[in-house]
Amino acid sequence: MSTSKIRCLLAMLGTDVHSKGIRTLARLLRDHGVEVIYLGEHNTADGVVNAAIAEDVDVIGLSYSTATYLHYTGKLLDRMNAVGLGDVAVMLGGLIHPEDEPVLREMGVKGVFGPGSTTAQVVEFLAQVTGKPTTAYASRPDR
Amino acid sequence: MGDDHDSGNRAGDLDVQSHIEDVSVKLSRTATWSGIETKASYGPDDIADLDYTRDLGDPGQFPYTRGAYPQMYRSRMWTLRNIVGYGSPEDTREGIERALRMGSAGINVVLDTLSQEAIDPDHPLLSADAGQEGCSLPTLYDLEVLLEGIDVTKTDVAWHSTMMIYPLVVALATKQDKDLSELQGSHMPDHLQLRLGGWGEAIVPTALGHRTTVDCIEYSARHSPRWALGCPQAYDIRERGLSAAGEIAVGMAIINQTVQDLMARGIGVDQVAPSLAWVSTSEIDFFEEIAKFRALRRIWARTMKDRFGAEDPRSLRLRVACHTAGRALVYPQPLNNLTRGAIQSMAALLGGVQSVETCTYDEPISIPTEEARELATRTQQILAHEVGAARTADPLGGSYYVESLTNQVEAEALTQLDKIEEIGLIKAIEDGTIESWMDEYNYQLKHELDRGERVIVGVNRFVPEQASPPKRFSFEPARMQAHIQRFKERKAARDQESLKKHIDMLYRVARRRENSHQAMVDALIAGASIGEVWGTVRAANDLPYDPFRAIESPFRYPVL
Repeated sequence: MSTSKIRCLLAMLGTDVHSKGIRTLARLLRDHGVEVIYLGEHNTADGVVNAAIAEDVDVIGLSYSTATYLHYTGKLLDRMNAVGLGDVAVMLGGLIHPEDEPVLREMGVKGVFGPGSTTAQVVEFLAQVTGKPTTAYASRPDR
Repeated sequence: MGDDHDSGNRAGDLDVQSHIEDVSVKLSRTATWSGIETKASYGPDDIADLDYTRDLGDPGQFPYTRGAYPQMYRSRMWTLRNIVGYGSPEDTREGIERALRMGSAGINVVLDTLSQEAIDPDHPLLSADAGQEGCSLPTLYDLEVLLEGIDVTKTDVAWHSTMMIYPLVVALATKQDKDLSELQGSHMPDHLQLRLGGWGEAIVPTALGHRTTVDCIEYSARHSPRWALGCPQAYDIRERGLSAAGEIAVGMAIINQTVQDLMARGIGVDQVAPSLAWVSTSEIDFFEEIAKFRALRRIWARTMKDRFGAEDPRSLRLRVACHTAGRALVYPQPLNNLTRGAIQSMAALLGGVQSVETCTYDEPISIPTEEARELATRTQQILAHEVGAARTADPLGGSYYVESLTNQVEAEALTQLDKIEEIGLIKAIEDGTIESWMDEYNYQLKHELDRGERVIVGVNRFVPEQASPPKRFSFEPARMQAHIQRFKERKAARDQESLKKHIDMLYRVARRRENSHQAMVDALIAGASIGEVWGTVRAANDLPYDPFRAIESPFRYPVL
């Protein structure tokens, strides 16, 4: 088991602008000792794949608030498989409808975190798929 | 997440005493949702410095704390609005007609995510987004289809969109030989809000975005004085991660910068302020939201008078367009959102707003289903006709608590506004200062939820035991495909010479950093699409024609 940090790329595809959730997740994951490579909104599948290679990431996290997630996730997975990134786990968050979860799993998505998911669930997932350690909160914020 | 008592008990397993203690309604928080600490009760000492004439005034009197109009809803009922928009122009037109039959008083249109970013529906990487979350409206022809038989100088169409929609409407009116000075309706010209709301520097660079806002308002002030301008669009900024006071602070910073820049171009405050309306939200904290609307009107009136020297009462009295807060609605047990929406709408009305869109209960699931849309309309009808929310202006005016809270929201807003203006608004956006405030707000909120210091029913307490997947909206994609096909065919059939001439002109004007709105209108009439028009403006500002860098401009621009 490696003791290096988990490297997780967070990005959004297409024209979806609802990045509030993924911005907050970026900070929460950093609190848990995850190295976050934050690409933000408005990425293409090629852009995400190139960044994933350049940054040597373990996991790619995508967030969606529009109904186009099946389309864009499929495009990304195709690109990933084409360039040999099939071992990088993909997780989805945001407004993912429960009826679509089996389809996403079938496509190769490893983690689906729809409404009501907790930070702890995401952190546990990351530890599990990477075999790398996470930490408890490095610091608890106070107002 | 939910504690053990909320679910999973077998018969005979229940620890009755602790269960009762847990589910009893207990006070879980004494601060407002935005974080203002409150007391158990308020009295005269809490508002000892309040001067009625100076700080409140009658409704319709300076500083308009108690409302914009003397008779409020007796003279002007609020406008019951319903946002519609999905798929092709034909799809959205059907949706509009259904909303009108249901009791919606105005036509409110939202554009799809592509049109909102001024990107064409045939974009090689983004076509899947066409018709999502709104109506695809890439050309003047599509606007003609959407508004067939509707006279834009007689009917108030409210556009929930910023980029390119005003030039499109002006192009339509011009093509139909209408008098622009009679143009009715509204849109939301605030580009800085886009920059802060997730469009980011890639889609809307701060400086270009702000200049485009000022260009648009200048053009409207000179040519379409009856057109209403939803500026600031504070709704999205607040949703993104601000407190009630923060909404006022960032919104006023945008207004101050915009009015100042318009005045530098020779547009007087009284020429523009009467056309402005604040696009606001109504959050879940009932009293705090009422206080916000009251504090907001007071700050606006004093700013217009003292800072900009406004004299026209229509400049001083702020009109507020309200859409209830989508972020306050939650996915688990979505029918609870009907309750939330009713209370948020009630706060907006007691706060004296001029129009209300009640968010549909399925907002966290998908774009509204017909059923959810109808219930949102009924919510407002119940408030209007049964509850008596419209009867009397500012019904909570004079309440020790509400007056004190109004003062506190106002003081906090002015403190935050000072901080922004010390840095400079444009810089505070460009360097990420304001976004970092929003991140901090969201991060703290998440921690309070995780620690149970803040309770959202169904989310971190009282989690429903079973949830069947909620219904979601869907529409037939066939028309959308036909719409994209039509877009491509019409593009190929345009008069290329005329198009080139107008694109050239637009490029030259934009390159000189002059107001490019007339040139945008002319190019649209010549058949240019929104992606081509805005792409040309981008190119003239040394930005990539396509922010996704997937396509090159089809035009050869003059070397200047």
